[in-house]
Amino acid sequence: MLPDATVVRSILSAAGVHDAPAEETSLGLVCRVPGSGAPGVLAALRESELDFRILVDMLGTDTGEGIEITYHLRSLSRDEELYAKTALPYDGDLHSVWNTFPSALLQERETAELFGLKLVGHPNPKRLFTTEGLEPLLRKSVPQRSVEEVRQR
Amino acid sequence: MAIDRFTGEHSVAFIRSEQLFDLARRHSLWYLAFGIACCAIEAPMSASGPRFDFDRMGVFFRASPRQADVMIVAGTVNRKMAETVRMLYDQMPEPKWVVAMGACASTGGPFREYPNVVLGVDKVVPVDVYIPGCPPRPESVQYGFIQLQEKIKAQTEERLAARRHGS
Amino acid sequence: MTDPRDLVTDVGLLAEGAHDPGSPPAGIRRAPTGVDGLTTEHLVINMGPQHPSTHGVLRLIVEVDGEEIVAAETSLGYLHRGIEKLAETRRYNQLGTLMDRGDYVSGMHGEQAAALAVERLLEVEVPPKARWTRSLVAELTRIASHLIWYGTFGLDTGAMGQFLYAMRDRESILDILEAISGARMMFNYIRPGGVVADLPAGIDGRIRRFCNGFDAYLDEHHALLGGNEIFQARVQGVGEIDADTALAFGLTGANLRASGFGWDVRRERPYDAYPQLDFDVPVGTTGDAWDRYMVRMEEMRQANRMVRQCVDGMPEGDFTAKVPKVIRPPEGEVYASVESSRGETGVHVVSDGSDTPYRYHYRAPSLFACQVLEEILPGHLIADAVMLIGSLDIMLGETDR
Repeated sequence: MLPDATVVRSILSAAGVHDAPAEETSLGLVCRVPGSGAPGVLAALRESELDFRILVDMLGTDTGEGIEITYHLRSLSRDEELYAKTALPYDGDLHSVWNTFPSALLQERETAELFGLKLVGHPNPKRLFTTEGLEPLLRKSVPQRSVEEVRQR
Repeated sequence: MAIDRFTGEHSVAFIRSEQLFDLARRHSLWYLAFGIACCAIEAPMSASGPRFDFDRMGVFFRASPRQADVMIVAGTVNRKMAETVRMLYDQMPEPKWVVAMGACASTGGPFREYPNVVLGVDKVVPVDVYIPGCPPRPESVQYGFIQLQEKIKAQTEERLAARRHGS
Repeated sequence: MTDPRDLVTDVGLLAEGAHDPGSPPAGIRRAPTGVDGLTTEHLVINMGPQHPSTHGVLRLIVEVDGEEIVAAETSLGYLHRGIEKLAETRRYNQLGTLMDRGDYVSGMHGEQAAALAVERLLEVEVPPKARWTRSLVAELTRIASHLIWYGTFGLDTGAMGQFLYAMRDRESILDILEAISGARMMFNYIRPGGVVADLPAGIDGRIRRFCNGFDAYLDEHHALLGGNEIFQARVQGVGEIDADTALAFGLTGANLRASGFGWDVRRERPYDAYPQLDFDVPVGTTGDAWDRYMVRMEEMRQANRMVRQCVDGMPEGDFTAKVPKVIRPPEGEVYASVESSRGETGVHVVSDGSDTPYRYHYRAPSLFACQVLEEILPGHLIADAVMLIGSLDIMLGETDR
């Protein structure tokens, strides 16, 4: 179920990401790639012998220093799962992987909108869920409504 | 006919036209088929279903707001939805009523802390009946409609009384 | 009262400045063409968010050439309530209340996914009775959810009678679930470690009575809608999705299996009592709407079979493992998924060691179905669009979260 870490590292090196950490955590096998290199790396992982054909899930996390994007890849022929993480700065560029995985189309729009990133290379980079003028709601800096605010509705 | 038992055979009944229209309106409230969220499964779907049968109260759904009397706002209203709710309310012809169904439509519900959620649909349209619950049982919705019927009757009586006392 | 125009300035595709008027709007992939030497205009029409097909507040903006759709775009967010953000201030055993309101017709599956994720973080072992109970209520919920799909799918094609029959059977299931968990819809029954209370006495008699009658009812439902030649003409051969497109767009569940690829989370990543249950996974061939219909009808039959096995084979024991009242899992991340009625419902939790999650992500299968809708709609008629939304079984509560 866990892919071979050395094979993953060699694929990443071939794609131009050298010395990429690929470690096993409670999640599974996690490899880290630099932000702008995500499309190339994901394409390489898809074409490789490990055959990661499916992007199951894509999410962003506000780590306090920036936004960490996690891509959850799955290989059906080998029944393996891999997580690729990139770290982006606040208001940074999110490079789209839709050419490799069209399932990322709506998820990238959502992540870019709710975390305040700029979507690059996407055919339809509009807001998805919220209206104009709302802040990136999933960031830790944006608070939820307080009890007093609700009571005074 | 059963009514003859009360009035006697071949009888003629007199009623103020206002009261007749009010009777007809109360007992044939057609709601707009407009389910936003989870409450939509209980109100427009289960309550109109075979067990709870809204139709015996004369209530069933219409697809177009131009043909509806009541708008049941069933679900959380957020900022993007608020304009649509207002537009639909404006498209309904008078007389019209709004039923806020569930905790979300009444005051924001379990999602009240999220900035995108509007704290209750009464910020956008005037509400006549609030039905609490998350989700309210279909019987609660039907009870809410009975309260709405009482309210319509009370409003008509007020109007008639005001006119009779020469205002 | 606030004027809602102060709340909203962006109404989607047709908002000012949304696109450069010289080029086609984003999402429109084919340029307009003339027909028979006449230049005809393509109309941009709005469908939703209020429409009589009760799938929730889905808005479709379609560009039509006469009656045929040339391009389509979904506009989501009319039910965006922030389940992911609110989860950051909820304790781990309260996450089920949020998941109940995501995919609201199959609440037990959402709760199951959240509970599985927390159990994986805590590395706690769920006792057998709890596992079998969870599978039992999950399969009952699957039948209830598919009955709603069946009722509303028929409504989308214009049939009204089957909706009432579906609701009648769903009420029987909701009675059973209400006896077990206390509620008709927001169950809040499955918690990390097991379930919140034991099954009530006598429930197995009720469930057996339901199971014995349901197979015959299912045949009736299939004859009523599937045997109707108007329905068959509307549904067969329409909306074909081949397996490669389905996989590329992230489809899971019945949508993927109808396209010929038999991936089921209950088989590939087993959880709860599924390794011990005997069931078949129906797989279609062409991936058109008729295959999706047949796959779901057969899934209801298999779910009925599993419910009977769960009732017959229910072990004795505790209904929950010992978990602390306030759960503080160790730091780390985990992903857990279940086979819900719509596909693979996944929960990705990032824990920082405190009693609330640091980040909670809900992988909703209907979001991918909305994406594939934009891909398959061009070439179909407007009436087919309504039917295809129904055949993909989209639930807006989980799409918008």
